[in-house]
Amino acid sequence: MLKSKFKVQSSKFKVRELISGLKLGAWNVRLFLLFAFCLFAVGCRYDMQDQPRYKAHKKSDFFADGKAMRELPEGTVPRGFLREDKAFYQGKTEGGQNATATAPNPAATPTMDSSGNTLVTDFTGLVSEFPLPVTEDLINRGEQRYNVFCIVCHGPVGNGDGMIVRRGFSKPPTYNDDRLRNAPVGHFYNVITNGQGKMNSYAAMVPPADRWAIVAYIRALQISQNPNGNMQMNSANPSNANAPTPIMNNANPVTTNNANVSGGAR
Amino acid sequence: MAQVFHRAANNVAKISIVVAVVLAATAGFVYTQLARSSYLTGQHVEKQQPVQFSHKHHSGDDGIDCRYCHTAVETSYSAGIPPTQTCMNCHSQIWSDSPYLEPVRASWRENKPIEWERVHDLPEYAYFNHSIHIAKGVGCSTCHGQIDNMPAVWQEHTLQMEWCLQCHREPEKYIRPKSEIYNVQWNDSELSDEERLQLKADYKIRSQEMLTSCSTCHR
Repeated sequence: MLKSKFKVQSSKFKVRELISGLKLGAWNVRLFLLFAFCLFAVGCRYDMQDQPRYKAHKKSDFFADGKAMRELPEGTVPRGFLREDKAFYQGKTEGGQNATATAPNPAATPTMDSSGNTLVTDFTGLVSEFPLPVTEDLINRGEQRYNVFCIVCHGPVGNGDGMIVRRGFSKPPTYNDDRLRNAPVGHFYNVITNGQGKMNSYAAMVPPADRWAIVAYIRALQISQNPNGNMQMNSANPSNANAPTPIMNNANPVTTNNANVSGGAR
Repeated sequence: MAQVFHRAANNVAKISIVVAVVLAATAGFVYTQLARSSYLTGQHVEKQQPVQFSHKHHSGDDGIDCRYCHTAVETSYSAGIPPTQTCMNCHSQIWSDSPYLEPVRASWRENKPIEWERVHDLPEYAYFNHSIHIAKGVGCSTCHGQIDNMPAVWQEHTLQMEWCLQCHREPEKYIRPKSEIYNVQWNDSELSDEERLQLKADYKIRSQEMLTSCSTCHR
């Protein structure tokens, strides 16, 4: 940068001598200098447009993995982000089954359905009550999130006939049978968090409070498809009134609520 | 004493004034057109990507919501480029042996990000945040155009300051209801002027002075 500046200046002086040798007026010299300055300014413009700093998704020549976006070292807990509330963050009861295992119910004897899905029938150790109050706002939020992330495979009412299934992905089990109507809410939360069978984990895409919102909406779908059944939302545990809530509308991006941060690691 | 100039010199002088004015105006016009041309702005130029990813197919034909991949658009300045895992949510099973998707599978195997080409490149002295635009009722297609019709994505607008200011001066002309933000088929004529002003009030959009203040975008 500095080098090129000096170059431009020295060449300017040379040309000025040349021009004065030709006995042209001072105006021509000024015009020429203006022109030279414009050329110089055009050169500057691109430096300002592409500044040597990192933004999201930029490439890095410095870090070994080539990514400017850094991941948290494994096991890091940012201050204030400790996920102590097991029911809320894992959907499991205190001292419940396989506290550290990632796969739900490895001990259960699985059965297979015609699409090759493993059907979990043992739901021990999973919470059966929502760890946050179920409100209309929560279900509306869940509907919105369901229609973004789940509808692609599970379909509009959870029968497993989404667009991706019509494109050839294997059909997921329907929500609307007795097995999943009787499943505790923790099961759905656990599957969203850790994935199951052919479904990947959605933990990186859906933060915990939104997962509970989706679970509430799944319950609402089950009730809507079985209106004469005696299903109820077993919810509104008053002791969890202070549990983190999802972002209810986009106007208030939550900054203090740690439940809306997926942990940073992607 | 003989005349220095021929009589025709009067005409030459008059014509040369006109010609000078016309030339200056033409030069100015050419400059403004050149600065707005797609050669310099990149507008309407399709970008080729390392994977032949089609927004037309995924968004248009399959109807996948924008936020399935661009998960951060509501909460961050960057809409977010999906990690390879998002591709593999579906492509672990469908088109899983297609040669078109080999770069995706290679990225998944080797745990290396796919190096996508940036289509919308704002100059870095301009501050831009996706989440606030979403929160104030600016839909995806207002800036990105009919993404569901773009096999390879191009930049729909110039992204020049005059383009940003059009909306920052009169936001009510470009906003829409919350429910329609991700509707790429949205037609701006669906709202009346009164509804637009009502929306602007509901969203609590700031004054024109605030929106066009230098430090709003150059901070």
